[in-house]
Amino acid sequence: MPGTTDEQEELARTIRSVLEREPGPDRLTSQAAPSHGYDAKLWSVLCEQVGVAALAVPERFDGLGAGVRELQVAAEELGKDLTPNPLLGSAALATRALLESGDEQACERILPRIATGEALATLAWAGADGRWDPDEPACTARQDGAQHALDGTAHYVLDGDLADVLVVAAAHAGSVALFEVDPGQGAVTREHTPAMDQERRLATVSLHGARGTRLAGADGATALRRARDTACAVLAAEQAGAAARALEVTVEYTKNRVQFGRPIGSFQALKHRMADMHVLVETARSVSYAAGEAIDAGSEEAEQAVLAATVHCSDALSRVASEMIQLHGGIAITWEHDAHRYFKRAHSSAQLFGQPHEHLERLLRV
Amino acid sequence: MDLEFDEATLAFREQVRDWLATNVPERPLESFNTARGFEQHRAWEAKLADAGYAAVAWPAAYGGRDASLLEWLVFEEEYYAAGAPARVNQNGIFMLAPTLFSHGTEEQRARILPEMARSDRVWAQAWSEPDAGSDIAALRSTATRTEGGWLLSGQKTWSSRAAFADSAFGLFRSEPDSERHKGLTYLMFDLDAEGVQVRPIAQLDGEYGFAEIFLDNVFVPDSDVLGEPNDGWRVAMTTANNERGLSLRSPGRFLASAERLVDLWCREGDPTDTALGERVADAWIGARAYQLYTFNTVSRLAEGGELGPESSVNKLYWSHLDVALHETALDLLGPSAELTGESAPDTGRWSSGYLFSLAGPIYGGTDQIQRNIVAERLLGLPRESTASKNRGAT
Ligand SMILES: Cc1cc2nc3c(=O)[nH]c(=O)nc-3n(C[C@H](O)[C@H](O)[C@H](O)COP(=O)(O)OP(=O)(O)OC[C@H]3O[C@@H](n4cnc5c(N)ncnc54)[C@H](O)[C@@H]3O)c2cc1C
Repeated sequence: MPGTTDEQEELARTIRSVLEREPGPDRLTSQAAPSHGYDAKLWSVLCEQVGVAALAVPERFDGLGAGVRELQVAAEELGKDLTPNPLLGSAALATRALLESGDEQACERILPRIATGEALATLAWAGADGRWDPDEPACTARQDGAQHALDGTAHYVLDGDLADVLVVAAAHAGSVALFEVDPGQGAVTREHTPAMDQERRLATVSLHGARGTRLAGADGATALRRARDTACAVLAAEQAGAAARALEVTVEYTKNRVQFGRPIGSFQALKHRMADMHVLVETARSVSYAAGEAIDAGSEEAEQAVLAATVHCSDALSRVASEMIQLHGGIAITWEHDAHRYFKRAHSSAQLFGQPHEHLERLLRV
Repeated sequence: MDLEFDEATLAFREQVRDWLATNVPERPLESFNTARGFEQHRAWEAKLADAGYAAVAWPAAYGGRDASLLEWLVFEEEYYAAGAPARVNQNGIFMLAPTLFSHGTEEQRARILPEMARSDRVWAQAWSEPDAGSDIAALRSTATRTEGGWLLSGQKTWSSRAAFADSAFGLFRSEPDSERHKGLTYLMFDLDAEGVQVRPIAQLDGEYGFAEIFLDNVFVPDSDVLGEPNDGWRVAMTTANNERGLSLRSPGRFLASAERLVDLWCREGDPTDTALGERVADAWIGARAYQLYTFNTVSRLAEGGELGPESSVNKLYWSHLDVALHETALDLLGPSAELTGESAPDTGRWSSGYLFSLAGPIYGGTDQIQRNIVAERLLGLPRESTASKNRGAT
């Protein structure tokens, strides 16, 4: 049964207290606001005091050796206020890809710096069609002396223009492999791509014969598959957290907003909709936890659990966030209220790591 | 209902199509929710007016061309199919003007309409207040009698286009102790008048699509009262019916979006994704259904019927259709639809349209309000008991 252990509760509490203590990031109050990445200071506090970036890093690489469930706890807490953070791209996706590559030396070299939060890692993978297909990454690699030369453009790269460590998935000699590419070299161009959801930073990463070191070890496609499972499970928890807060805010608002001489929350038409939202929020939480647990347990059914979580949590957040807007009325159509942030996040998240119908098709196959 | 258009209507369609083909700007204008875009749209409206297309259904004397409602629908279809600019003075032309025709004086029509047709004066609707949204009868802004007119005070909010518009029309409590729908007066005022302060509010795309309006003893002459003093509610219902049904959102707009969606599907859809293909087809059917329903309404009006609570059916239908159309397009485009700026597909038209569509079930009276009207007025279902009467009457 999915649930939360005492340690996980404690982790959640600690993160909450940091978030409450630290002044939040500048609120997005107009379009003119700089679309920054994340709040670097807050992130370093979270790394130093809680070790969020170290959670899924094994102890032998100076990490905390916890699991995907713990990453989920962090994502859920950060998701509630949609606090911009590089957890998903760095601590979940790229970290998992590095670990799954099985390249112990690379892990030893890179992961300790990721665990402390000194360095940020990212994984360049999908093409413009946004398919995150483990067998068809956007880039290609060819042997070039002792190293490799990589070409191609990866899209929707999480924190792609900010990351210090760039892992690239590339087709190579009939299969797929992972490469470590120095993002500082001239043959790499990185560009932030503004999106509706201004708080999840995405970039394109273009390689023009960039030099890369192939990560030794297991088959790249399998590593990508597992990294995607981890990222999807963590994203699902973030969605569950965001949905829960969106509902909370809506319930609070409708209790206080009076029209026709009574709180609008007392109208059955709205009450029933919030009851439905509650059902979605609760089930989303359970389904997301189950996915994390299945991965941590090495269960054979992990992929299935992850797909179920991805589809259900995307759907839950999308529906809860659109209801949040409708139940608030006019105020939700302004930049001054948070509802649009939840809505935009819901939409962008549902498209990350593959489209809902692709997940469903995969689910039918497994 | 007869969908066979006569020769004259078909000829009119041709003529409109030709004019639009040569005159619609090649590059889309900037958004009318920006200062520059607003003036570009104003200039476009003047061009439309010069050609007699700004308000085809009005009498020629006021800048229209005496077209029938059916011809107007045809004009709208052609207008949106041609991808012509959004109508910056829509709240004037499609909401205030019909109200002037029903309740205004000849002096008011002659003074206001020609200027409106050319958008020399752009109008905003100033009804909602912070505590009076769905419950518009709870409004508290006041109109106080003074020598030769009225003094307006209070606060209005969510007024579309008010950030850049010239004038506004609104409802004010003119009888100090009156309750709810009684004692309200419908008044028109200038947004640059002494005592008016406008604070623009950013909408979901970050642009100033609406504004708050603060009024402090703003003088309005008697000649700018629309209808009789204290009879504002009745006058307002004419405006509301035009906002919800027919005029403000005619089928042409949705038919054009549906066609664009079908095009997008043909170009970029994955034929194996049958679930999405069905949604595209549903959206297209939805737009057709709205068109047919509206033709029906027009026939009813032509036979002397009135635009009554039936307009809530339009409102519920188009607002949901618009959300579904855009949602389907975005799902079809996949993750690229999330991008804004230069990397956005179709210059971000679908994504910005999507954000705007979210407001459809809110402005002009929310879904719940329309559903109450349909349930109570059209189906005759009993009212829920509420603390205040006439719930859902706006
Ligand atoms: C884009 C946009 C443009 C607008 N333009 C204008 C404009 O130009 N001029 C103008 O005056 N106003 C304008 N408005 C305001 C609009 O008319 C109001 O937002 C709308 O009437 C809802 O009022 P509210 O925002 O106060 O929401 P509320 O009335 O507070 O409603 C909040 C929620 O409560 C629900 N609710 C309220 N009453 C009931 C009930 N009896 N039963 C069940 N549910 C209920 C609503 O459906 C909604 O879900 C605009 C709004 C938007 C979003």
